[in-house]
Amino acid sequence: MAPAALDARAATAPPAATVLYDDKAVALHAIGRDPKRAKEALWIRTQDLPRINEFEVKPQGACRADICIPIPKAMVRGRYFDLTAFAKKIGEPVVVDTDARVWSFGEIQALGGSFVEGRMAPDVTVPDRAGRPVHLAHLRGKKVLVVTWASW
Amino acid sequence: MKDKNFEIVAAAQDTGGEAAAGKWYDAAKATFTTLVDTRHAVSTAFHLINVPMGIWIDERGRVVRPAEPAWTSSRTDTFGGKKLEIEGEPYVTALRDWVVNGDASQYVLSDEEFARRVKPRSAAELEAEAAFKLAVWFHQEGRPELAAKYFERAQALNPDDWNYHRQEWSFTPQEAGKKWLEKFQKQTEPYYPKLELKPKGG
Repeated sequence: MAPAALDARAATAPPAATVLYDDKAVALHAIGRDPKRAKEALWIRTQDLPRINEFEVKPQGACRADICIPIPKAMVRGRYFDLTAFAKKIGEPVVVDTDARVWSFGEIQALGGSFVEGRMAPDVTVPDRAGRPVHLAHLRGKKVLVVTWASW
Repeated sequence: MKDKNFEIVAAAQDTGGEAAAGKWYDAAKATFTTLVDTRHAVSTAFHLINVPMGIWIDERGRVVRPAEPAWTSSRTDTFGGKKLEIEGEPYVTALRDWVVNGDASQYVLSDEEFARRVKPRSAAELEAEAAFKLAVWFHQEGRPELAAKYFERAQALNPDDWNYHRQEWSFTPQEAGKKWLEKFQKQTEPYYPKLELKPKGG
């Protein structure tokens, strides 16, 4: 447990990195150093992985629900996990602004393949006008027309 | 069509949020579900590159028809001497048929036809989505120059995606019309794909 004073400082300091994935932006205050000092590499605390993308490092690999992806030893160093190397391994696109220290991760194909392959509607979560999240999957049992438009 | 266990979900692809989209929902006196999709999540999920686009989803969550232009009336416009055709009535007729007849509707696509229409995203398209999401984040953080940089990255990676272009142009409205016309006139593909309501054998 960190002392309370340290927690308070972490909450007000600018994050060491911001990670965008799905509908979340996760601010990370503690990150690891890349052994090769590569600016685009992002070593997160292994304990932060689940709140980024719901994966968890286990003896058999990085796992989420019933999917486990074996990971090479070099992807974990002490308390840290090489998130950008993991993305590369699973074919997840990443676009990074190294000055602002924001990493934007795209879709993980292994999780969302059932639209193209199996014709199933992806479970998109989008806020309504009041900002309340609406899950398209909650409309099962009805016929649904999803129609996009834009003010522009 | 409420009594047929049918729901319309409208998703504004608007990074400007409720401030941009809300007044249009008010004006339409919307009685359907109204969403404000600042990061274009619906377009990402269903591979949409323009608006308006409709997707039909049945009771089990199966996609009956993937993305196609979703207008309610037909017209032909001309911009800079080039035609833009909008087909609306046939779309509404087909939709009503499906709402009434369900799986037996002649407008339910076969698996083969679905596979012909929906392809996996390319690496460039997937990277464009990540770049666009970064642009939206910078926009929402009040950093327009960085937002513009990544809107442009997304446009370069997926030049056919009108949403990536028009969303960015909306932040410089004085130039938006000119930029739209330039791209519209250069484009060889139709602005909206032709409606194929009943493909061969369907």
